[in-house]
Amino acid sequence: MPASPAMSAPPISPGEMQLLLSRAGLVLNPGQVADLVLAWRQVAGLIASIPHDRPLADDMAYAFHLAPPVGAAATSPAMAAAKRQQPIARPKAAARPKAAVRPNAKARAKRKPAAPRAPTALQAKAKAQATPKAAAKRKAAKPVGRKTARPRR
Amino acid sequence: MKGSVPPFLTIAEAGRLIAAKRLSPVELVKELLARIETVDPRLNAFLLVTERQALAEARTAERAVMAGSRAPLLGIPLAYKDIYETAGVRTTAHSRILADNVPKQDAETVRRLHAEGVVMLGKLATHEFAIGGPAFDLPWPPARNPWDTRRFTGGSSSGSGAAVAAGMALGALGSDTGGSIRLPAAYCGIAGIKPTPGLVSRRGVIPLAPSLDTAGPMAWTAQDCAILLDALAGHDPLDPASVAVPKVSYAGAIAAPVKGLRVGLLRRFYEHDVPASTEMLQMVNRAVATLKGLGCRVDDATLPAVQEYNAVGRVIISSEAYALHEATLKQRLSDYSRAFRVRVLAGALVRAADYIAAQRRRSDLIAITAQAFEKFDVLIAVPTAGAAPMLTEQRPDDGFSRPLLTTVANVAAIPSMVVCGGFTTAGLPLGLEIMGPAWADATVLRVGHQFEQAAGTRERRPEL
Repeated sequence: MPASPAMSAPPISPGEMQLLLSRAGLVLNPGQVADLVLAWRQVAGLIASIPHDRPLADDMAYAFHLAPPVGAAATSPAMAAAKRQQPIARPKAAARPKAAVRPNAKARAKRKPAAPRAPTALQAKAKAQATPKAAAKRKAAKPVGRKTARPRR
Repeated sequence: MKGSVPPFLTIAEAGRLIAAKRLSPVELVKELLARIETVDPRLNAFLLVTERQALAEARTAERAVMAGSRAPLLGIPLAYKDIYETAGVRTTAHSRILADNVPKQDAETVRRLHAEGVVMLGKLATHEFAIGGPAFDLPWPPARNPWDTRRFTGGSSSGSGAAVAAGMALGALGSDTGGSIRLPAAYCGIAGIKPTPGLVSRRGVIPLAPSLDTAGPMAWTAQDCAILLDALAGHDPLDPASVAVPKVSYAGAIAAPVKGLRVGLLRRFYEHDVPASTEMLQMVNRAVATLKGLGCRVDDATLPAVQEYNAVGRVIISSEAYALHEATLKQRLSDYSRAFRVRVLAGALVRAADYIAAQRRRSDLIAITAQAFEKFDVLIAVPTAGAAPMLTEQRPDDGFSRPLLTTVANVAAIPSMVVCGGFTTAGLPLGLEIMGPAWADATVLRVGHQFEQAAGTRERRPEL
């Protein structure tokens, strides 16, 4: 079992803390600094208990699933999502497959949302509730009773 | 539709009565609204009660029932932790920062429930942004435990735990990043499951730490959690973490016997890493006897120390939560609770190399934990060292200074549920935690359900 975080945490001087704070761009009052010193001492202990010396060849923790080239089969949920969001008929994009392959925030923003499955009667009701018009109606329908639709104290 | 409303109902019972036209969804909602009005001033579980909307939805459900519709959740009244976005209904995350936030869309989970005919009763208390609490320096007070209102509910799905235990809602949505569904389930004596990451969409749920966040149901019984999970589970292409897995009937799966199941007992967790109270140890012994009585094979199991999982979890949570809130923290620092600041600001000082080390160590812990399931179908532990502590005993730096037993399952990316394992001599509930390998949510629910049935821990309700 690793040592208790508080026991293994190195002490931090006011100067060191001020340096870390200015690097983070934080402006705190003395009480907030005192709270942070207490918390940081414990977090530093937790960090110290995590092994850092790993072989360079170890895989990184993250995996990125890029959208497949146009026409390729989707093999992961993220790929499937990306594929579903592709425009239905865009001749220019089809003529330039390279541009379609490259993940691009602007291009993604222009894509249409995924087509919904055929709704059941209850799902249709929920969908109706989710539309802005229905949402406005729900908001308007908010009760004005004594204990409702207001913060509780 | 006529028929009196029994004082306490499970989702399964209410669903059966409604389907048989022996219980009116409208009368059920009226009964619960009256209970909320009577009981909630002592519990502070609700931040907002959507009375008129609930009655309108109940009438719609009643018409559907009369027209012949049948669905397990049709007309069932639930409430949502106030980090679930609800179209046209204020969603605050229990924070001044979002005090006037009215989302335009429902969270995907809320949409799925409403598609099944669920009635929303209102929005529930949480810790500020699912981490900063319990806090007394926010516009709304923290929720209180229905078994003893001086005591802590656990968090961060604090209102969800209190509302279900007090019978103000038949079920609730919670979220779990380090134990936030299972801790209130344990302290409030209910059931709650943190599903396998990717099983339930998190789209529209205000995030805390996206690498670890999980959305899930809380209810009086494991069976009710299974019914809710049937509606909640499913691929969401717009949640990048969502995974397309074959559809499973969780409510159908729980009825199968557990005879022959291999149960691993994580004894070192609660005897050494986070020593449990005597009453908790006695409860575990009784639970083991109950599981053996059901035909399970119980043996000791070992995993790395709880502290190892916690170190990884806390570093990831602090870093990611700070990153999400950095801009707002720099502009509105004093609008956050002190508890939030203490738990999140330290994330500003974590180096990128330390964060990556935590993520890499997490990969190891996921692999090591998965290996343990080669010998066992489920692992058993306790979610807390004892019964609910006093609310005033909670410290802003809890979570750093005291490791959470529940964080193991978040870091290991496995499903984990808490059911009521028994009670202290003072009448406070004690939780039992059941973990399974990734995607074995149905097995976890099955063990939870069969245990509840055999142990008989679902008969007692808090007296309010």
